[in-house]
Amino acid sequence: MQNRGYLRVREIVAMILIIVGIKLSDSTPALLTQNVQNALWLVPMISCVCIFPSFLLMLYLLKKYKDKNLVQLLEEILGTVIGKIIGFIIFLFAFLSIALDSRNYVEQIKILYYPEGPSGLIFLVLFGVVFFGAKKGFEVIGFSSFIALPFIKVSAFFIVFLVLGNLLVQRIFPIFGSGLSDILIEGAAKASIFAELFFILIAYVSTRETDIFYKGSILAAIISLFEIVIFYFIYITVFDYNSVEKIAFPFHDITQFVSFGKFFSNIETIFMVFWLIAAFLKFMILIYLATWIFGAVFNIEDFEPLLLPFTFLIATLGTLPFNSIINELQFRNYLLNAMTPFLILLPVLLWLVALLRGGLRK
Amino acid sequence: MIRKLLLWLLFLLLLGGCQDRIELEQQSYVITIGIDATDQKGIYALTYQFANPEVGYSASSSADEPPSEIVTVNGSDLLSATYFANSIVSKQITLDHTRVIVVSEEVARSDNFLRIIQSASRTPEIRRKVEIIVSKEKASDFITNNKPLMETRPHKYYQSMLSRAIQTGIIPKATIHQFFQITEGDADLFLGIYATTDQSDNKDDEMEEDQYIAGEIPQKGGPPTQFMGAAVFKEGKMIDILDGEETRIAQILNTTLDMDSFITTIPDPLMPEYNITYHYSQTEEPAIDIQYNKDKPTIIDVKVKFKAEIVAIPSLIDYTQKADDRRTLENAIVKRVKKKTEDLIEKSQKVYRSDPFYWSLFIRKHFKDIPSYEEADWQNNIYPNANINVEYEIDKLEFGKMINDTNLNEVRD
Repeated sequence: MQNRGYLRVREIVAMILIIVGIKLSDSTPALLTQNVQNALWLVPMISCVCIFPSFLLMLYLLKKYKDKNLVQLLEEILGTVIGKIIGFIIFLFAFLSIALDSRNYVEQIKILYYPEGPSGLIFLVLFGVVFFGAKKGFEVIGFSSFIALPFIKVSAFFIVFLVLGNLLVQRIFPIFGSGLSDILIEGAAKASIFAELFFILIAYVSTRETDIFYKGSILAAIISLFEIVIFYFIYITVFDYNSVEKIAFPFHDITQFVSFGKFFSNIETIFMVFWLIAAFLKFMILIYLATWIFGAVFNIEDFEPLLLPFTFLIATLGTLPFNSIINELQFRNYLLNAMTPFLILLPVLLWLVALLRGGLRK
Repeated sequence: MIRKLLLWLLFLLLLGGCQDRIELEQQSYVITIGIDATDQKGIYALTYQFANPEVGYSASSSADEPPSEIVTVNGSDLLSATYFANSIVSKQITLDHTRVIVVSEEVARSDNFLRIIQSASRTPEIRRKVEIIVSKEKASDFITNNKPLMETRPHKYYQSMLSRAIQTGIIPKATIHQFFQITEGDADLFLGIYATTDQSDNKDDEMEEDQYIAGEIPQKGGPPTQFMGAAVFKEGKMIDILDGEETRIAQILNTTLDMDSFITTIPDPLMPEYNITYHYSQTEEPAIDIQYNKDKPTIIDVKVKFKAEIVAIPSLIDYTQKADDRRTLENAIVKRVKKKTEDLIEKSQKVYRSDPFYWSLFIRKHFKDIPSYEEADWQNNIYPNANINVEYEIDKLEFGKMINDTNLNEVRD
């Protein structure tokens, strides 16, 4: 394991901002808006309210049981066997969400920029790069994320700036979209759009002091929520509710729509570069984390050689769905709905067990 | 050694990214797409105007080449016909730089317009900024006859022609983006650009300046193309044409359309045989206040503040110094623009039964959720029955750089 505890707050923040924040640019908004119409921008807030207490509870437990990562904590509290089973379930969730996302991202690249290239080849190139990146180890990924982050965020901010003139703020009304109950249900059901926050807990002991991780993850979670809300707000006010639910990739529709003055009109390729870097980093981080969880569950100390088979498996699974719309609106929908109760309840369960066993009195 | 070689071979995979590589030279850039009906249902005659990249820069040696090439083929949607057109055009046809889609009035008025234009939103090639022009004649005739003299390169021509005409308000800004937002929103009317190269025979020189639609403007010299007025679309189908003046008023009242300013005339209130010319400009967006009543008619209060700058007073009446006359003039300006506005609103309520002002945006906040908003039905119920009060207010009345005009009596002494 190439991990010497050199990571600081900024790398943790950068990684979380990339894996959670990139949800603003894929087809997650298209998935959410199917049920809530123009209340899309409220959904992440509700989701965050639902899942954030659980996340804090998890961080609290990790702090109490010092120097343990996610899976070790599970084993400590629930016993080895149950702990490992739950750890494996978390691994499956992480693995499946990467696999489904992978198809989604490949389709975005293919439809918008490489219409002639076959999906398989894009998969191969994308995951080839991701594998080489992930193989470098967690700290290198962290540093790269930190270096790339300013560029990614500046380009995102630039899009916001360019699209400002096309917003019609009145479009957020009627404020509750398809109905208050609908958005509350959808917000709660899709709370797992923040699932990556839990996956990264496997890296809890990778920083020099765990306190750093604690601060960094909370800060990053709040910033990424903020970004997601801003972008969802933009999608609603630029496209209106009837249109946004028809658009599969609103982020790319916006980059194609904006122009920089009269002379520079087709400028989406500039944004595509930074988006692509973010996508590479997202998959590197997530594949590394998933492999790490797997390694921790099966007591494989040196898990990095597993990266190659896992990358291969993910790319293979990703190519299976018939098309990207089924992939997004059905499979990913099921997965998000299934992950939510698990992720919300697991920390509560852990806390209760720890409380009864007296583990918190240290 | 073999390992190293294999590693190098792996890099070859990255070349897969070059699959979509295409040289600029191998592409033909479409600037204008024209849509016409054919006798067959579902098949359209699609006209593509390609820019000639060799025209327009000084180093060009082929000065005799025309600035564009025009091809018409049949096809069922915008994209499939580009492949068919390749039997005539030598290069790969690229729609990335399309500026305008010209639709013949015949197609725009048919039920099928929405079907054909829909394909524009599915392909990533056609941008949402593309403007929709409705031509009185066949779109292919419009594109062929449109031979601008000064700005021969088509993309520049459309860019400057449209942006200037939009600034002056005689045509609306009409992008595909707006078309889909409004049509899918299913509440308001979309205004498309109306243009023609077909000069009408019944030209009326007597009409006031802006009450023309394209093709009726008396003109001598210059290219035959006229852009004037707006095609009114209801639920994705063209139903009527607004003249230049109505288009302007619609844009004054529509907060989502930007119009800079325009110069217009009114009869001199004291000597009606002369006209007074003034420069209308709007400093702030109109305030639209909707009082929604569930059972009674909804009340819509609209307040427009504008600035008027008098440009010419051919009657030579001394409006600047005499307070009473100035007030008469102010009232005359306000009364006239108000009257025009009320006429347009009445027409939209009675004839169109929907509004071209995108006011449905302002009623949304009175509803908690979309089902109740859709049930209240802006288009069929709220708007046609609403009581609408429009107030115009002159914020500033300026008189240009002269204090007084020439005193006629002194000159003719």
